[in-house]
Amino acid sequence: MDELSHVVDALPGLVWTARPDGTVDFLNQRWCAYTGLSLEKGQGEGWQAAIHGEDLPEMLERWRSGFASSEPGEMEARLRRSDGTYRWFLISISPMRDAAGHIIRWLGVGTDIEDRKRAEEALRLRELNFRLIVDSIPAPVAVTTPEGEVEGVNQPTLDYFGKTLDELKSWKSSDAVHPDDLPQTIAAQRKAHELGRPYNVESRHRRADGVYRWFNVLGLPLRDTDGRILRWFHLQIDIDDRKRAEGLLASEKQLLEMVAGGRSQPRVLEALCQHVEATAAGCYCSVVLVDPTGTHLENGAAPSLPASFITSIIGRPVNAGSGPCGMASYLNEQVIAADLTTERRWEEWCPMALAYGLRACWSTPITSAAGKVLGAFALYYDTPRAPTPLHQSLIERFTHIARIVIENAQNDAALKSSEAFLAEVQHLSSTGSFRWNAVTGERTWSEEMYRIFEFDPAAPVSIEMMETRIHPEDLAAFRERGQRVRNVDADFEFEHRLLMPDGSIKYIRATCHPRRYDGTLVELFGTVHDVTQRRLAEEALDKVRSELAHVARVTTLGVLTGSIAHEVNQPLSGIVTNASTCLRMLAAEPPNVDGARETARRTIRDANRASDVITRLRALFAKKSAMSESLDLNEATREVVALSSDELQRNRVILREELADDLPLVTGDRIQLQQVILNLLRNASDAMSGVDDRPRELMIKTEREEDDRVRLTVQDAGMGFDAHATDKLFEAFYTTKSDGMGIGLSVSRSIIEGHSGRLWAVANDGPGATFAFSIPLVPAPRTSRSAAVRTAVRANPERSIGQP
Amino acid sequence: MMVNESLVSVVDDDESVRESLPDLLREFGFAVQAFASAEEFLASNVVSQTKCLILDIAMPGMSGPDLQTELLRRRQEIPIVFITAHVDQNIRPSMLERGAVECLFKPFSDTSLLDAVNAALRVN
Repeated sequence: MDELSHVVDALPGLVWTARPDGTVDFLNQRWCAYTGLSLEKGQGEGWQAAIHGEDLPEMLERWRSGFASSEPGEMEARLRRSDGTYRWFLISISPMRDAAGHIIRWLGVGTDIEDRKRAEEALRLRELNFRLIVDSIPAPVAVTTPEGEVEGVNQPTLDYFGKTLDELKSWKSSDAVHPDDLPQTIAAQRKAHELGRPYNVESRHRRADGVYRWFNVLGLPLRDTDGRILRWFHLQIDIDDRKRAEGLLASEKQLLEMVAGGRSQPRVLEALCQHVEATAAGCYCSVVLVDPTGTHLENGAAPSLPASFITSIIGRPVNAGSGPCGMASYLNEQVIAADLTTERRWEEWCPMALAYGLRACWSTPITSAAGKVLGAFALYYDTPRAPTPLHQSLIERFTHIARIVIENAQNDAALKSSEAFLAEVQHLSSTGSFRWNAVTGERTWSEEMYRIFEFDPAAPVSIEMMETRIHPEDLAAFRERGQRVRNVDADFEFEHRLLMPDGSIKYIRATCHPRRYDGTLVELFGTVHDVTQRRLAEEALDKVRSELAHVARVTTLGVLTGSIAHEVNQPLSGIVTNASTCLRMLAAEPPNVDGARETARRTIRDANRASDVITRLRALFAKKSAMSESLDLNEATREVVALSSDELQRNRVILREELADDLPLVTGDRIQLQQVILNLLRNASDAMSGVDDRPRELMIKTEREEDDRVRLTVQDAGMGFDAHATDKLFEAFYTTKSDGMGIGLSVSRSIIEGHSGRLWAVANDGPGATFAFSIPLVPAPRTSRSAAVRTAVRANPERSIGQP
Repeated sequence: MMVNESLVSVVDDDESVRESLPDLLREFGFAVQAFASAEEFLASNVVSQTKCLILDIAMPGMSGPDLQTELLRRRQEIPIVFITAHVDQNIRPSMLERGAVECLFKPFSDTSLLDAVNAALRVN
């Protein structure tokens, strides 16, 4: 026994022994040291004083049953330490038996489990708190084991999913998480479990009514004091509204970017439909447009509806009977057909829609900012349904975007059409426009400008490039104007030439308008008009005119010189022959003086005859009536005016035409009469060349006179003439002009007289003179021209000569 | 009028020619007869005696070439020197082609006239 007590005393726990009846007969030193009770006091029933009052009854009961059954047993109980504090102990009892198997003693051992017990208690309290917290969170929360098995979920979770805990335990193989989101959710959890770090994943969870909503799932580990993960808590935050708003915003942004990026209207509308279909599950979206006449529907976009269905809608009239979109466009209000099987509004359209499997259609007009219906935005479903407020807000937003898309496209088209129109007009008028930013030096040229300068439209234009085109002779003037534009604050125009690479020349008329800010030139814009064609036409006209004049002159002169030569050569021949004879008579031996005197006399006579021929030539014009034709004097006058208009303009003459409407045709030589008119016009114009103190007005007038005559009058405001000089005006070589020959009026009068008419002049009451001629409709009968010529020349008028 | 003098006939409607030309031709030593028209010449009695005919081209009534044709028809082959006041260089070759000895443009010099008449007389 002593030996045993020594051993027992050495054991590291609290040890005691009891007799088979349970009476404690020994307590080791550690027991006595812990409890502060002496061996004597602890023996018997005394040890019970060290047991916590709450634990003692159970202990006594356990001891009793243990002793009765002779089986070992253990329990936890609090023992009072000598300082009065209690600590938890695990107390085990086991019987000691003799060789015969009879129980000779009971051995008890108490192990201090206070620290472990305290830890367990702390954990229990913590868990209790956590569960309370979890249950009180109004959002769905799930609790899983460290391995990820679902242990529990809070009430909001059960309510949201409409499933039991057991059903939710197998969430990985159910539809609780949207199939599209399931893999990434599982992967995120697995990774979090492996790394022991919180995770954050967004996924769609199926609500009890079958609708998936977006959740942000936050997974957080719960650890013990040693840092080991005990649980995972999975907080599910409903972010569906935010997600939807984000989606809409992203859609809007993407669509508006497409619009801004210049994507075509059909492409953007198609994308719009696709966005709508992605946002509102199960719907088919279409956009139809109202055509420019406002009477029929046009195709917009419908990427998910059968083309044949859309085709059957396109071209339908905009009215209430043609279908939901026609009606919405017509009434400019939303049309809801929640169930097409019971729909009665569109007898023709409904069966067709039903045939395509459509059961619901909601069409909303797309209206411009100005209130004009641009088209209709429609959602179709293959099951009957009416729009929810969510749908309506979706429709509202996308209808608004559709409006922006369509309006933008229309503005774009209008702009393009306007640009095309401008380009067309510029091309037609050979007028280009330009703009030069004086600050940045940037030049903007219209298409036509590039065409005129023959530059590649892709290349930016520099002043150096422009100067390569300026005609070298005009370059200095061009540069000078470039300098002047900086200082002169007024529009200005100038003409210059371009020398093209192929050597051709273009005539350019530029009009510039400078724009200034604070006196500094900031911008110059204007037009460049290619006047080459006009200039060439003018030159061609000038050439024709001078050629015509030349031909007329040569022809007239040719005929004239022939006649003159013939008529002059006759007396010349006499002169030469007589003179020769005279010389020979004087050279004879003896000289024939009488004969010489006679031939000399005849020489003088022939010379006088030659002189007479020249004198009579003037009368020649009076006698020729030349080509006779029926002619309209007004028309002849207009032609002359047209031929002279350039010259008149150059002389700044203001021409007024007063041509009688009832002027009868006259018979005469058109060219000759036109020469007279031209002569009168030029004289009038020349007479006003020095006039600067009054308008250079020139009036040309035709009128019918009595006795079947017509009169043409040319009135000027020029320097006029002296009244007493009237008779001399029509004499050959009389002129008031410094550079004139003085034969124009003389010839003109001859021509008019040749038409049995009269040409006269009167001084105006005011400045200037009036010249007029009057001719009969039919001139008096005359002999042929050559006959007249010879008659005029011949000294003896009744004789005539034949043709050579 | 001496028998050995060759008769030169002048036919011209211009009076000054009819006055001046015979005097010059006489100075050269020819006998001369002047006529105001072709008809007058044909009606005269000197046609067959004429050794040289100085003939104006353009005349009222029968022209110079007309008279030439008529003489040929009558087989009166008289060498002809045409004269004309029309300065048309095309006339001369056509007249020479028609058988004229010469074609002179008025006014012509005394020497060119003499050369032409002499050439005509050589044809005889």
